[in-house]
Amino acid sequence: MYADYAYLIVALPVLAFLLCLFVGWHLPRGGGFLTVLATFAGLILSLGIFSEIYPNEIIHQSMPWFANFNVGILIDPLALVMLLMVTFVVTLIHTYANGYMNGDPGAARYFAEAALFTASMLGLIYADNLLQLFIFWELVGLCSYLLIGFWYRKPSAAAAAKKAFLTTRVGDVLFLAGIILLYNNLASLNLTLAPGEYLLQFPVIYAHVAQIPADQLTLIALGLLGGAVGKSGQFPLHVWLPDAMEGPTTVSAMIHAATMVTAGVYLVARMFPLFYAAPYGLTAVAAVGAFTALFAATMGLTAFDIKRVLAFSTVSQLGFMMAGLGVGAAVGTFAVGVSIFHLIGHSFFKALLFLGAGSVIHAVNTNDMREMGGVGKYMKWTMYTMLIGSLSLAGFPLFTGFFSKDEIIVIAYEYGVMINFLPYIMLVLAAVLTAIYTFRMWFSVFTGKERSDYGKHESPMIMIGPLVILAVFAFGFGFAAQEDFYSYLDSNFEHYDVDFAQLGIIGGHVLEGHAAPEGAALEEEQGAPEVAESGHGAAGEGEEGGEGEAGEPWYIQILPIIVAIGGILLAGLFYFDKIKKFDPSQVTGDKDPIRKLLLKGYYQHEILTGWFAETVVYGTALICNMIDIKLVDGWLNWLSAWVLGFAQHIRKVQTGVVQNYVTALVLGVVVLVVVITLAMEVGLV
Amino acid sequence: MISNVISLLIAIPLLGAVVSFFAGTKAKFVALIASLIPLALSLQMYMEFDKTSKLMQFVESYDWVPSLGVKYTVGVDGIGFPLVLLSTIVSVLVIIYSWGETKKPNQYFALLLLNEVGVLGVFTSLDFFLFYIFWEIVLIPMFFLIGSWGGPRKDYAAIKFFIYTHVASLVMLLAIFALYFTYQTPEGTRTFDMLTLLAATADKTIFPTGLLNIIFAGLLLGFLVKMPAFPFHTWLPDAHVEAPTAGSVVLAALLLKMGGYGLFRVIMPMLPSVDKAFVTIIAVIAVISIVYGAFMALAQKDIKKLVAYSSVSHMGFVTLGAVAFTWMSVTGAMFQQFSHGIITCVLFMSAGTIQHVVGTRVIADLGGLADRMPKFAVLMMAGFMASLGLPGMSGFVAEFMVLTGSYATLPSYTMFVVFLSVAITAAYHLWAMQKAMFGPILKKYMNVHEPHAYELFSMAMIIVLSLIFGIQPGLITDIMGTAATQVMEPVITLTQMGVI
Amino acid sequence: MIPLELYILLASTMFTIGLYGLFTQKNGVKLMMCIELLLNSANINLVAFSAYQPNVNGQVFALFSIALAAAEAGVGFAILIALYRLYGTIDLDNINAMRW
Repeated sequence: MYADYAYLIVALPVLAFLLCLFVGWHLPRGGGFLTVLATFAGLILSLGIFSEIYPNEIIHQSMPWFANFNVGILIDPLALVMLLMVTFVVTLIHTYANGYMNGDPGAARYFAEAALFTASMLGLIYADNLLQLFIFWELVGLCSYLLIGFWYRKPSAAAAAKKAFLTTRVGDVLFLAGIILLYNNLASLNLTLAPGEYLLQFPVIYAHVAQIPADQLTLIALGLLGGAVGKSGQFPLHVWLPDAMEGPTTVSAMIHAATMVTAGVYLVARMFPLFYAAPYGLTAVAAVGAFTALFAATMGLTAFDIKRVLAFSTVSQLGFMMAGLGVGAAVGTFAVGVSIFHLIGHSFFKALLFLGAGSVIHAVNTNDMREMGGVGKYMKWTMYTMLIGSLSLAGFPLFTGFFSKDEIIVIAYEYGVMINFLPYIMLVLAAVLTAIYTFRMWFSVFTGKERSDYGKHESPMIMIGPLVILAVFAFGFGFAAQEDFYSYLDSNFEHYDVDFAQLGIIGGHVLEGHAAPEGAALEEEQGAPEVAESGHGAAGEGEEGGEGEAGEPWYIQILPIIVAIGGILLAGLFYFDKIKKFDPSQVTGDKDPIRKLLLKGYYQHEILTGWFAETVVYGTALICNMIDIKLVDGWLNWLSAWVLGFAQHIRKVQTGVVQNYVTALVLGVVVLVVVITLAMEVGLV
Repeated sequence: MISNVISLLIAIPLLGAVVSFFAGTKAKFVALIASLIPLALSLQMYMEFDKTSKLMQFVESYDWVPSLGVKYTVGVDGIGFPLVLLSTIVSVLVIIYSWGETKKPNQYFALLLLNEVGVLGVFTSLDFFLFYIFWEIVLIPMFFLIGSWGGPRKDYAAIKFFIYTHVASLVMLLAIFALYFTYQTPEGTRTFDMLTLLAATADKTIFPTGLLNIIFAGLLLGFLVKMPAFPFHTWLPDAHVEAPTAGSVVLAALLLKMGGYGLFRVIMPMLPSVDKAFVTIIAVIAVISIVYGAFMALAQKDIKKLVAYSSVSHMGFVTLGAVAFTWMSVTGAMFQQFSHGIITCVLFMSAGTIQHVVGTRVIADLGGLADRMPKFAVLMMAGFMASLGLPGMSGFVAEFMVLTGSYATLPSYTMFVVFLSVAITAAYHLWAMQKAMFGPILKKYMNVHEPHAYELFSMAMIIVLSLIFGIQPGLITDIMGTAATQVMEPVITLTQMGVI
Repeated sequence: MIPLELYILLASTMFTIGLYGLFTQKNGVKLMMCIELLLNSANINLVAFSAYQPNVNGQVFALFSIALAAAEAGVGFAILIALYRLYGTIDLDNINAMRW
């Protein structure tokens, strides 16, 4: 029943967008309630669909669009959990925004854009083909552009919006190239498609991935990864994400933490069979993810803007998710479950942290943590909800982040045993840094002395409410849902004809995996059905890897706990005045090159914007312009000047003296006569 | 079913042009009516159009100069009809946009209508003689529009436009004559009939490859200059910059399409018979146009020049799709013609509105205009997004089809160059948008206000159209898809169709 | 009957005189007269050939030519009068306002 109305999940926010755009100016709070209602309706529908199809059905609806393409809805476990998460988190954020944006003259525009964003994100999730996914993907990018540039009168906001759009656009171009490559490869297979089947539909792709040549698969995978890297803020296209904090905080929470940036991870998960089959596909994913996780975490250590800390943290956590998918080379589809679980958990606590930060900023009226301190005294609700979020982010035992993030580290370890330990080492280091920067932020905002004279009041209930709800999930989601979640997600690819054994051979994972005594190569191919059968069994990753939890050495099991608690303590020693032992300036001074490097964000702005965009690209444009003026247009102007100049000379013949004309005339006649006579002599005429 | 609908389509704007020339200040009403009727007619044609037929429809044929084999033959198929629709739509919107024209309005509107006559004639005529006449008719109103209503360097621009495109047309005319004098009908007479001549080019005994290569090169030059493709594009930015807004819109939306139409109608049927080197040459020209146009746009300081170069870049997709010669790419290229015709209107209208509201088009001098003209800013933003290929709007569908289709036949590294340009395209659009519209409002623009309602209306209509064709491209790609299969097959003459 | 050569001789003499006048004279009226000489020499030729070759085509053309000469003289003298009014002279060397 609900499934028949699945299209409404997108249609209602679109309706809200139109209403807010055209009549929102006359409604209270810019018509924000419309956006909330539309999203909430989406949540209800998603829940309804969940109750209908859980645990072993999928919904697939499709209709022709134009040429060889279709539009359709595909709700499988992967899409469903994403739908639930997005509708849920975004509903809360929209509710919160009703308080946060109250009084802003552009509130109607905000809610219109937010509704459009919601629609695009949801459309992206349950698209049944890659083209449709790309379309919504771009619309999400557009909304991001509009929302980052929401305060367009601020030059920095306008610049950040442009930067975000362009940087993600670079990724999108790669994504588009990947799609085109995939389409052409599938088309050249000359498949006979059943009615209702189209080349770019996911089930069709899954079924025929194995027939595509391996080198093409790698290219396609790299293209798609390019898109994911752009959207999910992975190195080297992550530069837009910290700048994107120019938008209202709700935007940061909604787009740059909880939902939009997860689209890249979702794409890789969605196309997991292809990545799995592509040689180097998952290796690239793992490399990018692990490196980004560490790289962004180091920058998170030094930022002073509370939102930038969270932004770097988002980049870093997305790196975890990517790495989690990448190490799927070792553990198979289980990696999808692990990674998506972290994605969902992360969206809860990151939304919570951003909204908490928004609440602080709303009261304190500054983003700079150096001007805060002791805020907790005035904002108890915010402080404790944010504490839960921070603990979760840091991976403190029993919090959601602990279950999700540490699982990634564990499978990275398995990957290490089988293939390469580098991702594991990077992820563990990143986890330490995560705990440190998170609590550096929490301690310096909520505890200690008041470092400036700021606004001291708690935010209104409409803002606190969502915080509390999110805090509940940020705490409890992990242990409540972990195992069911893994088994549900593991069943995802069973609905399609995916032959992971064959894909593994193409991708070379079996060959690489043979060293593993766990026999993972064999297990991972059949792992998915097994887990599904074992249902709610305790097993998750254990069976996947071909061994129980006990298979990991004990120090690997407890290392994440040590890392989390140690990191928090370390942060406390520097920033929590009750146990403070060191001053940060003892470790690094202002002149310290490493600190400067981090503060400058590895000079990536200078390199990418300053050097690449302004020098290389714009320089090429200027050179083209020069060529155009001097050469392409130049020869034309030269020709016309030459013709005019020649005419200046030749017009002198017209002396205006009649006698000259007559002379010429007679001479002409004489010449003609001579020529004709000669010609007759010769016999030509 | 209206008989002689195409003749009516051409005659009504012509009549309107004459009437509005004598109508003084009432000219705009005359012009509006004289452009609305063809719009209604073309919509009526759309309803009656058989989307699955590869044959010419609505054909009319009368003897004109029988001794020379000249006939008045008009008709449309999937290649021409979408452009007829485009022409009638754009003409109406341009006239609405120019509602406030005060300088010699009677001549102004008469010239706009005359332009419509010319382009409609080009898109419908099936006789080379007639085709060439309409092809040249178009030059005249545009010459006067630039020359009389243009900017400071209007004389230079008008003459450059005229001579450049006219020289190319003459080369094309020579090629047409070569076709005419080489081919004899079975009855031993000469004919200008387009389809007959094109069908004959496939016959090696009549047109040996050497001769055909020369003819082909001549025709190609005529069309590429009109498109315009690198390196024959330099007349375009000058003409655009100096032309009045309506002139720019018509120039970009309709006149450039004549070149693309020529590619589909004339060049592509000959492509299988000529030297294969031409394919490489055209493909290289297309790719350079796309990338070079994008870079050039990035370097421009004048917003109108930026838009002009974006046209070069976008029209490159048409050439690319045509020469890639797959069903997908050809359909995409045809759709790109249509889509660019729509979208470029809103870009030039934006530039024109900025010019007359603010007084300058230099991007560096603008700033924060969104503050004073939010509605305009939204429309301009939508137009720019459509132009940079945002999905959901028509430009994306076209570019996607061209790229997908071209990938199958063209070497992949050339495609990656083209992909690069997609990113550059986004860059110059957003850069211009950010500089002109966002940021704090400059002091000197505090008194700037929203443009007239009719300007906003025509811009909004275009955005709506772009959305409609972006969300439901099948409305027109069905027609184009049939046409695409048709241009890749041997030409069917009117006699074979049995319509004469 | 007078031999044809004599007609041709007369015609070429007239033509040469006319040509000589065109080369040497600067007065507009004299030039006009020289042009008339040229035309009439051609007329003599036409009529003569016509008479010796029995058909009337040549005479018809001669009539055309005379009519043409009359018209030309009319226009030419009108221009000369206009020039005289404007410049006060019909010396063509002084009338060169349209020269580069």
